[in-house]
Amino acid sequence: MSGPLIFAIPSKGRLKEQVEAWLTDAGFKLEMAGGARGYRATLKGLPGLEVRLLSASDIAANVDSGEVHIGVTGEDLLRERGEGLDERVMLLRPLGFGRADLVVAAPKSWIDVETMADLDEVAHLHLVRTGRRMRVATKYLAQTRAFFAAHGIGDYRIVESGGATEGAPASGAAELIVDITTTGATLAANNLKILSDGVILKSEAQLAASLTARWTKPQLAAVERLLSMVEARARAKRAATLTWPAEQDKKAAPVAAKLVKNGASRRANGLLVAEADLLDARQVLADAGVGPVTAARPDYVFEPQSDAANRLMTEIGAPRR
Amino acid sequence: MRLEPAIPADALAKIRAPFAEASAAPTDAPVLQPLALLLDLAGEAMRSRLFVVQGEGGDEAALRPDFTIPIARVHIDTLAKAGRYFYEGKAFRVSPPGADRAEEFLQIGLEAYGGKDRIADDAEVAALAWRAAQAGGRKDLSLLLGDVSLFSAFVDSLKLEPRLTVRLKRAFSRPRLLKAELEGRELGAEAGRIAGLLSGLPEDEAVRVLEEVWALAGIEPVGGRSAADIAHRLVERAEAARGAKLTEAQADRIRGFLAISDTPDKALAAIGKLSGGMSKALDGWSQRLKAMAERGADPKRMRLSASFGRAFGYYDGMLFEVRSAALAEDEPVAAGGRYDGLPARLGGKANAAVGCMVRPARAYAGGKS
Repeated sequence: MSGPLIFAIPSKGRLKEQVEAWLTDAGFKLEMAGGARGYRATLKGLPGLEVRLLSASDIAANVDSGEVHIGVTGEDLLRERGEGLDERVMLLRPLGFGRADLVVAAPKSWIDVETMADLDEVAHLHLVRTGRRMRVATKYLAQTRAFFAAHGIGDYRIVESGGATEGAPASGAAELIVDITTTGATLAANNLKILSDGVILKSEAQLAASLTARWTKPQLAAVERLLSMVEARARAKRAATLTWPAEQDKKAAPVAAKLVKNGASRRANGLLVAEADLLDARQVLADAGVGPVTAARPDYVFEPQSDAANRLMTEIGAPRR
Repeated sequence: MRLEPAIPADALAKIRAPFAEASAAPTDAPVLQPLALLLDLAGEAMRSRLFVVQGEGGDEAALRPDFTIPIARVHIDTLAKAGRYFYEGKAFRVSPPGADRAEEFLQIGLEAYGGKDRIADDAEVAALAWRAAQAGGRKDLSLLLGDVSLFSAFVDSLKLEPRLTVRLKRAFSRPRLLKAELEGRELGAEAGRIAGLLSGLPEDEAVRVLEEVWALAGIEPVGGRSAADIAHRLVERAEAARGAKLTEAQADRIRGFLAISDTPDKALAAIGKLSGGMSKALDGWSQRLKAMAERGADPKRMRLSASFGRAFGYYDGMLFEVRSAALAEDEPVAAGGRYDGLPARLGGKANAAVGCMVRPARAYAGGKS
């Protein structure tokens, strides 16, 4: 598969907006081919890369199968691809948006059921008494099966739900559900509660790479460029630069040395500090009589290596070209 | 998709031959079975092994993974009290990931319903499977026996407090639960405050209070469990927590029972020693073994294991597998058992059901496994 790096992003909805914002913020502009409603694009600032817009679940399928090199989609959709995912897909970077939890929810009225162990017993009693298994409505078959099996629960069966999973218990289509939730408000409105040990996955949008695709050196290099920019931008948002007058550098040196011990990094007449440490740093500099001190936020903080890119290259091995 | 290696017709005839003497009607059953039914009876673990199909606008169906449910349904439709059925045909199972199994394979077997002499029927069916498997030519076969009802009989013989007895019997097929009982622990969290309060009330009062709590909290009861169901469980749990637990000595006896796995005579003797007296069940097994030997099953190749078959779906009595040393443990050459409770769950009247099946391609020694 020589040619450009294929990068899949969501084609619609909130996730698409969030991915576009994330790319723009990192310094890449998404340029659609064939008009605003098209499904192909390029990233201005990153040549050798082709963007494809697909549904979030198609992205998960394509990264899994090697149809695309990298993609952004929810971890819940990736994990639903089944056992052994980590051998086929590498999660490069969680993106901090698209957060939602995949949970097991039972009726609020079941005050005697708080944990999966309670559920185990109630499901077994239900089977013994009625001869039928307790039904779990969900779209997430693979993760539901794995989670229930890990908790030793066998006396249930899954009913696939197409649309509003949370309505299944009220309509009598199931007794329980496994579904994705953000605030929990929809669950509560449907008279459901999350079991105390019923969180299957805390999901968010992930930049994921296919370990089953054919990779070339230029394609890996393009991923490294993308990751370096994105990581540098993220670091910058958590950092601040402090600068003091050049002639006070000797006076500031011991204070600076202490701050370096706490993780800051030295600059000419200044420091790069974590944003969280900014106020403390300002204080100790002021106490040492150093001033005026200017603080600014960097645009990017580049490191020589990207850990995520290195992990990927180690896994892929050495491509021939 | 892997197919089975072909078996020469004369070899297949030898494997089939023992079934001809079993006075069973050759029967066919539909290849397509309702998916919901299969999952309901066999559980979610089966789903990943099923080939699921769907016609446009129709319900989901699956290709039969074996003949037990298909033949049972055929029998129930005849409305007859008793029946014996012989079948030969293809069954379909998805190969587990990583394994390279044939997904379309031949099975030959027998299912018998409404038989009056359970011990004789058990022995006949197990010996039949053994002889058919042997006819394939392998010299390394062994017969592994179990009995899902033995544990219940054993627990009864310990003469424990009734509620404890019921809980232990229920826990046999659920390793976590049984472990918790043996260790004297309770599985499940500390009850919430309201649950705790309710469990201290007399049951009908607990039901009324619960309904009031729901109304006050604006909770719509969904999911099919009534206030009575929930109150009952809470009260029962509280009583269980207050009631008798296993002593260390009793727990040891149960652990000892579960560990028994030996030649049938030795295993039965060991069970007898540990138990508080279960002569009926043990005599039944002696009779079963005698009848099996008379019908050609080799006692020297048998093993009886007290914990064999704990999680095996719908078997509720004797069960067995014929294994070859050349094949993996989860590739039995033949298998079967008693499943008296299944016909009722399918809407039938029969309360005696037992059967066996052979996989000719695994029995046949002349091909690759």
